[in-house]
Amino acid sequence: MTWHVRPDLLERYARGDAEATQAYSVEAHLPSCEHCRGQIAALVDAGRLERVWDDIEEHLDAPRRGPVEAGLIRVGVPDHVARLLGATPALRLSWLLACALVLVFAAWGASRRTEGLVVFLALAPLLPIAGIAAAYGPDLDPTYEIGLAAPMHSLRLLLIRALAVLVTTTATTAVASLALPGLHWSAAAWLAPSLGLTLTSLALATRLAAPAACGSVAVVWLLSVAIGGRVTDEPLLVFGLAGQLTCMLVAAIAAAVLARNTDSFERRGGIA
Amino acid sequence: MTQATITMSDLRKRYGTTDVVAGMTLSIGPGVTGLLGPNGAGKTTLMRMLATVLAPTSGDLRLLGLDPADRDERTEMRRRLGYMPQEPGFHRHFTAFEFVDYIAILKEMTDTRERHRDVRRVLELVGLGDVAGQRIRKLSGGMRRRVALAQALLGDPELLVLDEPSAALDPEQRMRFRELASGLGQERIVLVSTHQTEDVAALCQRVIVMHDGRAVFDDTPAQLSALAHGRVWIADQRDPRAQLWWRTAEGHHRHVGDPPPAAQLVEPTIEDGYLLLVGPQAADARVAA
Repeated sequence: MTWHVRPDLLERYARGDAEATQAYSVEAHLPSCEHCRGQIAALVDAGRLERVWDDIEEHLDAPRRGPVEAGLIRVGVPDHVARLLGATPALRLSWLLACALVLVFAAWGASRRTEGLVVFLALAPLLPIAGIAAAYGPDLDPTYEIGLAAPMHSLRLLLIRALAVLVTTTATTAVASLALPGLHWSAAAWLAPSLGLTLTSLALATRLAAPAACGSVAVVWLLSVAIGGRVTDEPLLVFGLAGQLTCMLVAAIAAAVLARNTDSFERRGGIA
Repeated sequence: MTQATITMSDLRKRYGTTDVVAGMTLSIGPGVTGLLGPNGAGKTTLMRMLATVLAPTSGDLRLLGLDPADRDERTEMRRRLGYMPQEPGFHRHFTAFEFVDYIAILKEMTDTRERHRDVRRVLELVGLGDVAGQRIRKLSGGMRRRVALAQALLGDPELLVLDEPSAALDPEQRMRFRELASGLGQERIVLVSTHQTEDVAALCQRVIVMHDGRAVFDDTPAQLSALAHGRVWIADQRDPRAQLWWRTAEGHHRHVGDPPPAAQLVEPTIEDGYLLLVGPQAADARVAA
C-alpha cells in the first residue's frame, strides 16, 4: 500500500459528509489498509455506528412477509396488525378457497332450482361465523395460553380477526352473488343476516367459548330459515324486508351487548 | 428495579371436589426459586395462576404488588410478566423470528424497529440467532423449547414464570439455560417449575416442594439435601426394609432410609431429600422434617 486517505477526508467520511465519489474511494481503500482503518476507528461516532448496524440488521433479519400480510400492508393496515391477522386460521389461503368452493356450489345450485337460492342465502351468513369460530380459542389458536398472559386483551384480538374474516367472506360472497341467475335485490339479501349473525356470535362469545357461541347462532339461524319458510309457505320470508330489518335490529342489540360485556370475555375463561 | 414480590395467602384452585392447589401461603422475592413436585402435585396449576391465565378459586394473590383479579392491575401486571407454559403452542408456518415477533405484538410492542431489536436480542440470548429465519416446523424439540423461552424474555420482564423450561434440552443447552436464568435471577423474580433436581441444585437459591396441592418443603436446596442426612447408604445387597432403593451404575444398591447390614453411609443429594418427601412412606418423612 503506497498511499493513505487524507485525515480531513477521513473525518468527513466518518461524519457522513464526504461527497459520494470520495466516499466510494475511501470504502474501496479501507478493507485493504490497516493503517487507515486504525485512523478512522477513533473518528467514528459510536451512536451513529450503532444506528447503521441497526439498519443493516433490520434489513437482513426482518422477516419476509407472506402474501396475506404483504397484501394487508399494501392496503394500509399497520404492520403489527397485519402480523396478528397472518396468524388467523380463517385468513389462510386454504380456508378462503374452501369458502369460495362452498359458495360456487351454492350459486350453481341456485341457478338450477328455485330452492337453491334459499340454500345460498342461508349458507352465506354462516361463513363469517365459521371463520370466527376458528379464529380464536384454546383448541384452535396454538398460542392461546401465551396470549392470555400478554397485556393485549383477548377480546381485542378476536375483534381484529373477526373484522378481517367478515371483510374477506363478504367480498367472496359478493363475487359469488354475481353468478346468481338474474340480478335481483335478493342477491344481496345475505348481507344484513351476515352482519347480525356475526355480531350475535361475538356478543355470545363473552359468555360461551367462540365455537359454541358460533355453533348455537348457526343452529338458531338455520331453524329460523327452515321454520319461517314452512309456516308461511314463503321460502324467502326471512330474507324479505321485515327479515332484513330484524337482522339489523339484532345486529344493533348484539353490538350494544358486546360493548357492555368486554370484561366478561376474559372472565368466561376463568381469568379474572 | 424494585424489590417486588409474589405473595399468596391460603391460595386455592378447585376442580369439582378436588383442591388441586390446596391453600398455599408463600412470599417469593427476587432470585431463582425452584418448584419441585411429582406429576399432579399442582405445580402447573399454581404457575398458571401466577401467570394470570387462571383465576384462583379462593385466597389472596398479589403479583408485584398488583391484584390480578382487577382488570387494569392485571393488564399492568402482564406488561411486567414473562410466561413460558408447560406445553407452548406455535404457529408452525411462522419462522422463529416471526413467531417471537407475533408474541411481541401481543405484548403491545407496536414500534416495528424497537420490536425487531428486542426479538433479535432474546433469540440471541437463547442461542437461536442463527436459526431465526427457519420455520418452526423445521426446528428440533429443544430449539422450539428455546423459542418459547425467548418469547418469555421479551421486554425484559420483572417476573418470569417458566414451566419446565429445561425439558427436551440437551446437556449443553441446559447449561446455557442455567447460566441465563441465574443471570436473570440477580434482579428479577424467576420461578422455575421442573422435574430436574439437578437444575434446582445448580440454579435455585430457594426450592419449594409441592405435594397434593400443598407446599411440603420451603428452604434452600442444601436444606433439601440435608433432609436425607444420615439416611443414604450404599450396600452390596438390597435391603427389603429400605424406604427407597435403586441399583447404581457401579452395581451397588443405594438405599434411602434406615441402614441396611454392612452398608456405608454416603453424602445425600437433593434428589434423596426430595424422594424422602414425596416418595413412598413420604408422610412419615414429612412429619420428621
